[in-house]
Amino acid sequence: MDFALTSFRKDLARWRQDLLQVALWFSIPLTIGGLITLLMSGDGAQPHGVLLVADQDESFLSELVAGAYSSGDLGELISVEKTTVEEGMTRVNAGDASGLLIIPEGFGEAFLDDEPATLTLKTNPAQTILPGIITDVTEILLDAGFYAQQLFGEEIDTIQGMVGDTDDPNDVLVAAIAVDIQNKVETITPQLFPPVINVEIVEPPQSEPQTSFALLYLPGIILMAVMFSANGLASDFWAERDHGTLRRLVCSSGQLGSFVLGKAMAAAVVIGIIGGLTLLLGFLYHDLAWLKFPSSLTWVMLSGVALFAWFAALQMLFTNQKTASVISSMLLFPLLMAGGSFFPLSVLPDWIAAIGRAAPNGFVADRLTNEITQSGAWIIDVNSWLLVFAAAVSGLLICAWRLRSGFARA
Amino acid sequence: MLKVDELSKNYGDLVAADKVSFESGKGTIFGLLGPNGAGKSTTINCISGLLQPTSGHASVAGHDVVSDGKAARQNLGVVPQELALYEDLPAVENLRFWGQAYGVKGSELDSRVSLVLDTIGLGDRAKDLPKEFSGGMKRRLNFGCGIVHKPPVILLDEPTVGVDPQSRARLFDMVEAERDAGACILYTTHYMEEAERLCDSLAIMDHGKVIAKGTVSELRAKLGARDVLQLNGTFPVDQTRHAIDALVERTDLDLDIITQEETTVTLTLSHASQHLPGIFEAVSGAGGNVAETSLRSPNLETLFLLLTGKELRE
Repeated sequence: MDFALTSFRKDLARWRQDLLQVALWFSIPLTIGGLITLLMSGDGAQPHGVLLVADQDESFLSELVAGAYSSGDLGELISVEKTTVEEGMTRVNAGDASGLLIIPEGFGEAFLDDEPATLTLKTNPAQTILPGIITDVTEILLDAGFYAQQLFGEEIDTIQGMVGDTDDPNDVLVAAIAVDIQNKVETITPQLFPPVINVEIVEPPQSEPQTSFALLYLPGIILMAVMFSANGLASDFWAERDHGTLRRLVCSSGQLGSFVLGKAMAAAVVIGIIGGLTLLLGFLYHDLAWLKFPSSLTWVMLSGVALFAWFAALQMLFTNQKTASVISSMLLFPLLMAGGSFFPLSVLPDWIAAIGRAAPNGFVADRLTNEITQSGAWIIDVNSWLLVFAAAVSGLLICAWRLRSGFARA
Repeated sequence: MLKVDELSKNYGDLVAADKVSFESGKGTIFGLLGPNGAGKSTTINCISGLLQPTSGHASVAGHDVVSDGKAARQNLGVVPQELALYEDLPAVENLRFWGQAYGVKGSELDSRVSLVLDTIGLGDRAKDLPKEFSGGMKRRLNFGCGIVHKPPVILLDEPTVGVDPQSRARLFDMVEAERDAGACILYTTHYMEEAERLCDSLAIMDHGKVIAKGTVSELRAKLGARDVLQLNGTFPVDQTRHAIDALVERTDLDLDIITQEETTVTLTLSHASQHLPGIFEAVSGAGGNVAETSLRSPNLETLFLLLTGKELRE
């Protein structure tokens, strides 16, 4: 055990000399993950545009038309500003507004007289969504106007006659118009609003609060950092072989098993720092319960050692470092893809997710997802802990065997 | 202290070490001299535990290197031919690590590390990284890592390869200091001058075999007072041999032909300089043409040439 601690201290001191490498293992996944998180989980801000209205008519009806664009939910998307035709054209051409609606003089009168009237709408070609909405709303308004004229033309004529009189409207006449309109509305209601299909709404049982995409993505990012560092740390066996220190070690009375154990302990610390920092940022960003932090970090460290051990065992099977490095990298990236580092397993189709969960890093990420998203801490099952522990031990035993069986002597 | 008995190492049909035997005691330097590929490193790797001997035995401080390997290695300090250092670990930490690898700890480790740093002349660079060192300084640290646990037996595998003359002289001093401190040192080299200067006794190896063994003076005595004369040029093989044989018969000269080819003739004889005119005359008379002559007094290199018919550095 003494020599394991010696080997551990030696490797930690060496990694301290190579902080740039450690920083890369940490920052590359963080950068990738950060970018994807930003892309996938923005703050939900809606687009908002300005509709300029040049109201040359200034009638009750023209006010009604202008107001229709900013009423109800539309008001969250569109603000209406009054302007003149010249100023409006200048602002739209300068990209200052989504559109300019020109209501010509006499529009209201023409509508009441059931005569043709022209509304001019100029939209901003640099925008797509908001001018489209404004155009649609305008078309709907025109349709509504047409049908209103068809249905209530008589009443509109009466009202128009009343507007022209100097005397106050006769109460009886107003009541009669109201009754007529009400009768017509009741007559056409079945056509306008036919009986709908009755839908029985069944409320799903109350479950855990819905998890955000960014939070589901966090374990994948952490595992990416862990995989990069585990693979890089594993290549140190080759570095030691190239430096001749493994040959010297074989000639000494130092235990190879203790040497490997020391390396694994150093790897656990480096992975713990990298995984811990990534976890810390994730916990801060998602405001997760700190109660889960120790269990999550322990899981990441143990899994990291297992991945380190197996990457090392794999690399030590090859006869030269270049081949080992190429094969190791060829394995690394498909594993990252399959294991949920680029797409969270929970958003993938079931059959792909099943394959991903069978990958070593997918297995770890899946359980880490449960640990950080479900209520409580230390919820990863004992079998999973035992499985990862057994993987770490067996990987390290293979490394020690490879050192004894010739890797160190070459 | 170090005993090698009929040690062989085969790689299929290739015999890298062929029944090598020698032994060396406390406070002595034993040299293995031979060209590249002679079997020196194979022998040393079998002793250090890097290779498993095919047959034969080797023991270090009474411990068999195979059956009692750990105890044998505990008594062994190895200074490999290639540098074996952690370049990203300060010099002092390199020494501490290798000391701890042999179980040295506490105050004993501190004092040994301090002493070795002084011995190898890196006391003022102890906290620097080896990657910032010159080649000679790295060699000295490489040596220091092999002796930090004060081993009774030290294996030095061509420690001066690629080392500048100043660092080489310093390494010699360090090796001699360890010998004077009582260590048994096995020193492999293909530099005859190193073997002559450092070794109390040595074995000359070629093609995996020990072809001569003894103290330096014993080996020199095998040569007698004979010089080695090498003629380069063009020499008709049969005529030249007949002419030299005739010269020997006529003058009763103590002369042997070591090698004879169309371009080179190597002879060994006593007081060669006195007989040069007669030899040149005989060779010219046989139709030969001498373009270059070299005359060497007796040394280990000429012994190797005498024994193998080839240069030590070939």
